[in-house]
Amino acid sequence: MPSLVSASSTSLQEEPALYAERPEWNDVTPLSQYEDAAPIAPIFYSAEYKDATDYFRGIVKTGEKSERVLQLTESIIRLNPAHYSAWQYRYETLLALDSPVDVELKLMDELAVSFLKTYQVWHHRRLLLMLTRKPAPELKFIAASLKVDAKNYHTWSYRQWLLAFFNDDDLWAGELDFVDAMLTQDVRNNSAWHHRFFVVFQSGLREGETDRARIIRRELTFVKQNISLVANNPSAWNYLRGILDTKDLPYSRVEEFVRPYALTTHDSTTDLVDLENPPPPPGAQLPCPAAIEFLADIHEKEGGKDRILLASELWRSLADEHDMIRKKYWEYRIREALKRVK
Amino acid sequence: MPVSSPPPAPRPTPTDAFPTSTSQTQAETESILLQHIPSNADAKQGLAKQSHMQFLVRSLVQGFPSRYTSQDASQPWLLFWTIQAFSALQVGLDPGNKQRIVDKIMAAQHPDGGFGGGPGQAAHLLPTYASICTLAIVGRPGPGGGWDQINRKKMYDFFMSLKQPDGSFLVAHHAEVDVRGIYCLLVTATLLDLLTPELVSGTASFVASCQTYEGGFSSASQPYYAATPSPSPSPPPSSTSDSTTSAKHARRLLEKPRPPLGEAHGGYTFCALAAWVLLLPFRETEGEQDAQPKIDVGNLLRWLVMMQGTEIELGGFKGRTNKLVDGCYSWWCGGAFALLEALGVGGAGSSAPPAGPSSGEEEEWDDMDGKMVFYRVRFAPDTQAARLIDTLFNRKALQEYILYAGQHPAGGLRDKPPKNADAYHTLYCLSGLSAAQHRISVATSRREQLRKAWVAGASQDTKISESTLPEEVRMKVFQEALAWTEEEGGSLIVGGTENRVSLIMFFAFTRRMQNATHPVFNLTITHSEGLMSYFYGQNLPPRAK
Repeated sequence: MPSLVSASSTSLQEEPALYAERPEWNDVTPLSQYEDAAPIAPIFYSAEYKDATDYFRGIVKTGEKSERVLQLTESIIRLNPAHYSAWQYRYETLLALDSPVDVELKLMDELAVSFLKTYQVWHHRRLLLMLTRKPAPELKFIAASLKVDAKNYHTWSYRQWLLAFFNDDDLWAGELDFVDAMLTQDVRNNSAWHHRFFVVFQSGLREGETDRARIIRRELTFVKQNISLVANNPSAWNYLRGILDTKDLPYSRVEEFVRPYALTTHDSTTDLVDLENPPPPPGAQLPCPAAIEFLADIHEKEGGKDRILLASELWRSLADEHDMIRKKYWEYRIREALKRVK
Repeated sequence: MPVSSPPPAPRPTPTDAFPTSTSQTQAETESILLQHIPSNADAKQGLAKQSHMQFLVRSLVQGFPSRYTSQDASQPWLLFWTIQAFSALQVGLDPGNKQRIVDKIMAAQHPDGGFGGGPGQAAHLLPTYASICTLAIVGRPGPGGGWDQINRKKMYDFFMSLKQPDGSFLVAHHAEVDVRGIYCLLVTATLLDLLTPELVSGTASFVASCQTYEGGFSSASQPYYAATPSPSPSPPPSSTSDSTTSAKHARRLLEKPRPPLGEAHGGYTFCALAAWVLLLPFRETEGEQDAQPKIDVGNLLRWLVMMQGTEIELGGFKGRTNKLVDGCYSWWCGGAFALLEALGVGGAGSSAPPAGPSSGEEEEWDDMDGKMVFYRVRFAPDTQAARLIDTLFNRKALQEYILYAGQHPAGGLRDKPPKNADAYHTLYCLSGLSAAQHRISVATSRREQLRKAWVAGASQDTKISESTLPEEVRMKVFQEALAWTEEEGGSLIVGGTENRVSLIMFFAFTRRMQNATHPVFNLTITHSEGLMSYFYGQNLPPRAK
């Protein structure tokens, strides 16, 4: 729920009078919401909100687009940032007045932080950016707002939109470093993992990214190292799967890496550091169900009766011991796999 | 019955001795949830139907406190959440209150089509869904009943005005594109007989493009366009203006790249999957199989089951990887499994325990310490009954989450303790509970009945578009939407039958009320039937006993 308190920048001296009390609004006829005096399931609005929205309905009816409409819609937005009609009307008014976009963007810098969780602040920003066509400063703004809420869905998709829409090499240039920084803060931040996938695999080829084999090696190394930092991190395992799926690579390519994570104990017999296959860290809680699942998938994809039976044993161990909440799913996997070898 | 020791405390989510802010919030949540696991049989918690009902009635009659001002642009939603929750609790409304609700909804209809968040607000796809579904529950044909006052032609024009060249729709003019809007539009169009080929063209491939590498779906995807006729290597940025008509002819949508914006998410996944299911009747008629958009159902299933929290999270669902469980995902994720069955995954019959490496034990559904009584106590693994009881998610655990953590002691349901209850979570927890208790699937026999009873050409008078649906497809839309049927013997009720929501009701042995939740619409099946049979001009054959 958005905080209404932090949004208010008004001090006691400039306590806003109701629109009904402002002489300059005399010419507008406020419209109350319902003709029925007592509609079912009413919301108990504050006097301030009721007043502003009554005037807003009045304005919408006459179709007025003027400076004071910007003031009125701002009042409503500060009281209820999810009032999409106020946003929509505000945008149309900005266009009609040819209002300076940088001023509006400045206001948005403030509102975005206060109302991080509403769709409208982020979408309005998009509309403005399509007018200014100056995406570069936005990256910093987004990074700052992710400091407040590192998994905010709107913020991340706004960043992805910005990159894809303007599709400018300079914009993309710092993205991997940005993801690294986010994952260093919290390696379990799935939004950051998704962003990495978006940048590396889903946005077309850019300068320096054309050697795909090298990119795949780089990404595999990256994700393996992160699993070797925190073994039970579903975000990282999903990323590993994502790389292999999207490039149609066999899961068996990482079998050697995965195997120690599916064991119950750490294998301390070797001191050799294999950079290709970083081992589970000493603190890791093993076995890692994600690794057991992965091994089973390797077996299943390799196929053949023996491999399917090996996969089934692993699924069985998940069903009965390591991941019992999903028992029915693991049994389903066994059944489906066995169907194919009959 | 022998008294056995309580089960061991569930294992915390592993942190691998490497705490981050995600694992810290997770641990805090787990410690709170742990306190909600009943320690013994006496502490077992029933569904407090009476107090949830009072919670809902209070808002309906007295109104919503001022913090609900944030929902001022969602007034039809407040009504929908409230009265659909009544349906789940088998509470009916008197004619006077029904009329007041109809009147309030109709005041939100926009003069240019569609419904807004309240009177004088702009039309928007989300409140349009909420309005139509509310009218399905409390409305009726005739003057003042709502159904005949829906301006279908203008609604259709509103829908078309939102359409984008990539097959998606804005949720409102100048607003964002996302799959919630597409779900809301397709449900509304399906219920009101507004589907046309031009309306849905390209939409399935847009939906498919929102599937992420994790398997779930994101909010939207970003289109790239090439100037026709030859594709350019570096596509120019698209202009996402609202006017689609000129753009449609000037640019060609590239198949790739078409990246999802945002990560896989429970709410978007439900909407995308339900939209996909609603578009199935259009598939076979559209050209070659190869050219048809595809989704990765196996990866979707995997993602959905992974969203279910473990024992320490009481088996609630989360909405994204490495996020916290939340009662509303009981429906968005838990409810998605019935939709998967429509795609042939995990239906009764495919979920019987395997014959492979044996677990060496029989299923027992009665809990060890006897704190739970199940509707169906035990079964032999290979029976039809077993197949009906088994689902690919843990339906028992999900019910426990809702009962133990989802209920607010003062009435209403919630995200998680210690949060407050609200109308939104009350509905989606109850819908999720219904999805976990009952087994709903598309019944071949019902589909056949509907096919036989179909009267071609019957419909509302208004012509809504030059683009018309072939009668065959129109019939299929109707059939597929209304062939959903509750499987008898497929219920599993944690805590005993008094916790049952969405009861099947029998009237005088002739008519059967299907009160179970429709997996696509989130209406009761009976309400879905009422509205659709009216707008498609069909008489429904009685359900076979």
